[in-house]
Amino acid sequence: MSKTHTRREVLGHAARGTALAGLGGLTGLLWLKANATFAWSINAQRCINSRLGAVGVDVCERCSTECVLALSAVRAVNEFKSCGRCYVCPAYFKITSAVGPDGLPTEKVCPRDAIKREAIGWIDPDDPANNFYDYTIDETLCNGCGRCVLECKEPAGLGSIRLEVRHDTCLDCNRCAIAQACPEDAFDRPEPA
Amino acid sequence: MKYQPAHTIGGRGSAPDQFARALRGVALDGAGRLYAVGDSAVKVFDADDALARQWPTDRPGECVAVDRSGRVWVGEREQVEIFDSQGGLTDTWRDPGQLGLVTAIGFAGSDVFLADATARWVRRYDQGGRLLNNIGDRHRKGGFHIPNGVVDFAVDDEGILHVANPGMHRVERYSPDGTLLGRFGRFDGRDPEGFPGCCNPTNLTVDDQGRVIVSEKAGPRVKVYDPEGQLLEVVADDVFDPTAKNMDLVVDSRGRIFVADTATLEIRVFEPTGSEATA
Repeated sequence: MSKTHTRREVLGHAARGTALAGLGGLTGLLWLKANATFAWSINAQRCINSRLGAVGVDVCERCSTECVLALSAVRAVNEFKSCGRCYVCPAYFKITSAVGPDGLPTEKVCPRDAIKREAIGWIDPDDPANNFYDYTIDETLCNGCGRCVLECKEPAGLGSIRLEVRHDTCLDCNRCAIAQACPEDAFDRPEPA
Repeated sequence: MKYQPAHTIGGRGSAPDQFARALRGVALDGAGRLYAVGDSAVKVFDADDALARQWPTDRPGECVAVDRSGRVWVGEREQVEIFDSQGGLTDTWRDPGQLGLVTAIGFAGSDVFLADATARWVRRYDQGGRLLNNIGDRHRKGGFHIPNGVVDFAVDDEGILHVANPGMHRVERYSPDGTLLGRFGRFDGRDPEGFPGCCNPTNLTVDDQGRVIVSEKAGPRVKVYDPEGQLLEVVADDVFDPTAKNMDLVVDSRGRIFVADTATLEIRVFEPTGSEATA
């Protein structure tokens, strides 16, 4: 036997459903504001390692040295769409080091050997300069020291590498040690819009 | 041969003989007048470095060249504008779907060569604007490797193209039909004989004795190589703004080198010193 509903009951159900959906959406928005945007981040235009025009400066390693975690929550990230895939990457090789018998610099920039260099595509075995190379950062090794970021900056490189906070490891301290130590006020936690 | 900085032309500013935002290309005509583009204008400087005339271009100029007839060719995004010597527009070349960012222009006989930084090739056209062939398109990297964003080349007196391939730290020589004739260069971040950084040289020109004059970025410097690729001289390595890159350059019949400092927007002039100054 089917139950019949009055027009008033149907309209009432619909109104309650709409109100619940709206409340859910509002709650979601508030959650996003509270948890997604209110987080520590690095302003690349302020960070001395990535800021354009800051040429000839010493690397700032405070992101790696000041974090309360044993391995900083900051990582270097290579944005592949901007990377030149160079034969001699200044963020990978210490380009002023002596050249070895293979024609490449003998020293690397990363003190933890966190950047992996791999020829891609069809490999020319006779002319290594004739290949493109991917430079992939191993985040289990990277400590966010920023040396590769500095060396990748224009005009030496294309600026494809930047520092980012890894929010799955960041403790989101209210008084972040990196932010307090950052000399450029580049490590900040913007208020929700 | 040694060089010394002689003087500068232009600079950043709003005066008529200055550049407001950009200086990207320089060229000389047969009478020794200097042409410069960058902002949406061609500026012509006479032998005394005074601004002789200027006229607007449709789009920001990426490069400039003057042919034997005195016509002024300006490379822009997806087009080339051709002006008479007084700045009157005579033609505009477009090749929709083909021609991208034109960053160098050269001539040999009836051929017109356009460096296309979008395709990463040099395109060879006849005087009527008909595409004859591409140069560098058979490179297995798909073209010249230009992380710096420009393709630059020069044509010598024998019609051979000398093309900068910065990602491979080389200067390559091509016949007009695109045959690779030879190359020189290697990476080296210490020995000035080599090319440093990720991608050098960025720009080059060739003088009437076949010497190849190159500019580099990070740190910016200018060097001269003999036709076989042996380093002859470091012209300058400490006078440019450290952020300057893709510095176009040109050499006159007296051996003076004009370099466009893309950061300060000055054209820096270097002149040879000593007994070889007029060689």
